Amino acid sequence: MTEVTVEHFLFLSAALFIIGMMGVLTRRNMLIIFMCIELMVAAVSVSLVAFAWENETLDGQIFVLFALAVAAAEAAVGLGIILALSRRGKSVDVDDLRTLRD
Amino acid sequence: MSWDVVFFYLIGGASVLTALGVVAARNPVHSGIFLVICFLNVAGIFVMMGAEFLAVIQIIVYTGAILVLLLFVVMLVDPEDLPSFHTAQPLQRYLSFLLGAVLLLEVGAAIITRTGLVGVGPASPEAVAAVGGNVQALGRRIYSNYLLAFEVTSLVLTVGVIGAVVLALPERLGERIGTRRGTISLSHSRGADEMLPEGPRGETPIRVDRTRPAPVPAATRTIIMTSDPDEHTRVAGSAPNGRPATRRPGTITSTKPTETGSTRHD
Repeated sequence: MTEVTVEHFLFLSAALFIIGMMGVLTRRNMLIIFMCIELMVAAVSVSLVAFAWENETLDGQIFVLFALAVAAAEAAVGLGIILALSRRGKSVDVDDLRTLRD
Repeated sequence: MSWDVVFFYLIGGASVLTALGVVAARNPVHSGIFLVICFLNVAGIFVMMGAEFLAVIQIIVYTGAILVLLLFVVMLVDPEDLPSFHTAQPLQRYLSFLLGAVLLLEVGAAIITRTGLVGVGPASPEAVAAVGGNVQALGRRIYSNYLLAFEVTSLVLTVGVIGAVVLALPERLGERIGTRRGTISLSHSRGADEMLPEGPRGETPIRVDRTRPAPVPAATRTIIMTSDPDEHTRVAGSAPNGRPATRRPGTITSTKPTETGSTRHD
């Protein structure tokens, strides 16, 4: 353990991902769920860059770049949805949003 | 123990702690700020792995753009709409802990028992340095092998922006735009119709900017039709003697009434 290996980064990525997943599963505030999804995206980015660093390629970094662009678009649309829900007088509690289920 | 390991545990520990803060904070604003710190630490992790460009992009895009957007949305959402903190069902909470532990075990086993391909790619640190750095190497790769994906990404961003604008439009404005006959005009905001001239609705509106005053005509000189150009400018006693008569009769000259012929140069 005198040198940083790829396993370090992979465990860090797993920890971040699992923390984000538990946030998605336990919290009911839609904004917090959104932040936890962003956290999971960042965790996956860490593992992709770690694999690219280990294999000495650049493709992993390019995947992260594209995923980041898609995450930016997803953030804009998701926040627009949250804002529209809040404006129409409904709550942003995910347990109350069951229109599709009923 | 080298300094790399020390820095890794510092940055990684900070990122994990702030990630826990995101999940555990009661106030959504606190969660957002924890997320900012977590993303800054993730950018530090990227730097440790030689992905400097991604680290900069992470800071600019995530902490600069997305999180600011997120904090604005947090402030725009009515606080009464937010659910209270202690409302998750206990079963849900225990199940999530169980699932997290199981996933951590699985991923840990996979990480420990894996056999990676170490250093088989073309982008060794020496090769990247020979090109000029991480940014140059990434640019060469993106604009050659991944050009189509790059273009499609720009399309995705455009669609995302349009979707966000449509979702965030005020409801009344959206309905009015939807029921407008024939044309869809997003160019003027709510309340701009009162400034339009009268006429049947649905026709092409004529934009009249009434807030700006009418332009003052700049012509303060009188225009005189004359046959002799020096007729009105000649002052008694100071006639321009050597002036060649180049102007034909009937030309339009503009003169100032107070101007004297001796100072005139045209």
